[in-house]
Amino acid sequence: MSGLNASLATALSGLTAEQGALQATTNNVANVNTPGYSREVPVLVASDPILVDPLTLGTGVTLQTIESVRDPILESRIQQETQTQGQWSALASALAQTQVTFTGGTGDIGTAISSFFNSLNQLSTSPADLSLRQGVLTAADNLATAFNLASNNLTTQRSNLNGSVEQAAGQINQLTGQIAKLNGQIADLENVGQNAGTFLDQRTQLIDQLSALVDVSVIPTDNTLTLTTANGTPLVAGQQSFQLSTQPDPSGAQHIYAQGRDITSSLTSGQLGGLLQARDQQIPAIQTQLDTLAAGLANAVNGVQTAGYDLNGRLGANLFTPPPASASGAAATLSVAITDPSKIAASSDGTVGNNGNADAMYALSTQPLIQGQSPTGYYSTVVFNVGNASANANAEQSASGLVLQQLNDQRSSISGVSLDQEAANIMRFQQAYSASAQVISTINSMMQTVINMKN
Amino acid sequence: MRVNPNPTPDLLAALAHTQQQINTDLLEISSGQSVNVPSDNPAAAAGLVQNAAQSSAADQFLRSIGSIQGEMQSADSTLNSVITALQRAISLGTEGANGTLSDSDREAIASEVTGIRSQLVNLANLSYQGSYVFAGTATQTTPYVLDSSASSGVRYAGNNLTNSVTVGNHFTLQTNLPGAQLFTAPGTDMFQAMQDLLTNLQSGDTDAIGTSVTEVSNAYNYIDTARVFYGNSVNQLDSQQNYLNSETAQLAAQQNTLGGVDLPATISNLTTGQTSYQATLSAMGRVGQTNLFDYLK
Repeated sequence: MSGLNASLATALSGLTAEQGALQATTNNVANVNTPGYSREVPVLVASDPILVDPLTLGTGVTLQTIESVRDPILESRIQQETQTQGQWSALASALAQTQVTFTGGTGDIGTAISSFFNSLNQLSTSPADLSLRQGVLTAADNLATAFNLASNNLTTQRSNLNGSVEQAAGQINQLTGQIAKLNGQIADLENVGQNAGTFLDQRTQLIDQLSALVDVSVIPTDNTLTLTTANGTPLVAGQQSFQLSTQPDPSGAQHIYAQGRDITSSLTSGQLGGLLQARDQQIPAIQTQLDTLAAGLANAVNGVQTAGYDLNGRLGANLFTPPPASASGAAATLSVAITDPSKIAASSDGTVGNNGNADAMYALSTQPLIQGQSPTGYYSTVVFNVGNASANANAEQSASGLVLQQLNDQRSSISGVSLDQEAANIMRFQQAYSASAQVISTINSMMQTVINMKN
Repeated sequence: MRVNPNPTPDLLAALAHTQQQINTDLLEISSGQSVNVPSDNPAAAAGLVQNAAQSSAADQFLRSIGSIQGEMQSADSTLNSVITALQRAISLGTEGANGTLSDSDREAIASEVTGIRSQLVNLANLSYQGSYVFAGTATQTTPYVLDSSASSGVRYAGNNLTNSVTVGNHFTLQTNLPGAQLFTAPGTDMFQAMQDLLTNLQSGDTDAIGTSVTEVSNAYNYIDTARVFYGNSVNQLDSQQNYLNSETAQLAAQQNTLGGVDLPATISNLTTGQTSYQATLSAMGRVGQTNLFDYLK
């Protein structure tokens, strides 16, 4: 009797285990489209045998646990690449907006420089002609406006980026809060030996999202994990999250603070890193180049203008309002200082018909005024720099996009749910279940036989 | 080996990539430009800035040449009239030097010479678009004014300065000849010669008339030589114009090389892109159509 009962228990363990395994498969099928879900596999182990001297008898099967299939190293690679991707896409989209200002067409700085010098050349053909003089003033005004517009576009873009920096900091805080909460739930489950697979998947998903925003290092600890930025500023420690805050510096640029410390300069990757790079490095660099060009051009023109004589035989006054000595802000503030066309100093000797000074101003167009380059030459360098930075960011973005895609493929090939596989598993578990049920049925009939023997 | 059971994200990425390529091709074809933003080709974008500046400068040189040419041609034809007038004065003087002429004949000649002189003053005061052409750089001052206190009866109020205009890279051209170097050059003062001729015709001194005819002839020869300046300049402007036109054409060709679209290549790219887009779509339609569940009964 004891033998049959033991067999019954063994067969029953098969039924239970296969039911449990089927549960895991069902859950997999249900989550086939859940982002970040890692497929679960039932871990079946043979139950501890019992010793019935002289025999060692098996006692069936135990569903030890249901385990999520994931590769932690691959996941940390994905997080790193997501940071890179976040950084370059933020930078690429910022620079794509920047370069619009430097796209050729009417009204761009290059055209305005050409038009200004052209108007001087035209004036030199008839230096006393008031309409040609007015033409020079108009062209100078357009040139100043082109610089103002380009500079203002850059400033506007920086302040938009500032808004994005604040938003990103807010999102980071939200995510770290959620991760800290999940850490608590995972620890609670794992401390009682339960499978926290679903929560782990959710946490991985959130860490991925966080990686897109900021450079995160993941340090696993017992049953939980600690997140820090690349330079070690803690974001999450166990069940506690540390909020980032933003404070504007004197120029209005938002800086990121963690526990009272300014960590702005240490944030180099993720969307936040890209935004800061665009706001604090790339765009200011372009702005500086524009300022250098505007100041160099204005000073050179003023230099020639004040050495000549206007239509009334008086020494010329500055054509452009003198730019600041440091050149900082020159492009934004460039303006034409005179409104009376007769005040253009076209004459080099004071006679009204002399065009010497107009020709000298025209000659500036080919002179190495700015860092050894002509105004147009320097501007073309600026265009190159802008285009190059943007092209570079685009290339890096698509390269890291490809890497990320590869890594995600790899993760999917390890952790993704395959319906074929699940269907096969269902068949497997069903057959095993049927077989166990058949065994029970057989034991039942054997027991009947035994019971019937009594009659 | 386990494979990625869900290729949809990859296919979507491929689709987006192809779509991006198709959009780029369409933009290039419709704009005719392969460099639509600097990042398309930073070096070409920088080159295009330079190219645009050069072709804009060439266009301006052509416009300036147009302006100068008008003035120079006007000066040249005016000098032609001056020459004709002086020729007439010389033949009148030669006629007046003939001893057989009566006083009244000489008076008639003298009055014609007076007419020629005032014609010459008018010609020397040529104004082009509000500027006096032969006044040096004092273009707003009438260069020759009648002045009885002057020995020639005419005073030069202009100056002896010239202007130069840049009409090409490193090419500047003198655009005017002051009257002081043309009509009233020291030693060959046209107005002095005319005044002398008139005075002598009026006094009837045939020898002196002969001398002053020589004086007028000298002025004639001088001006005839000096006006070559305008002829030469007009020629130089013409050849510069030709040069600039061919430079403009060259710059346009260069611009096309830098930033123009290679139509056959782009259209073939577009077709390839469209085919690949269709193929990806139809492949996506087949993804996950069947799996093992379909066969479980």
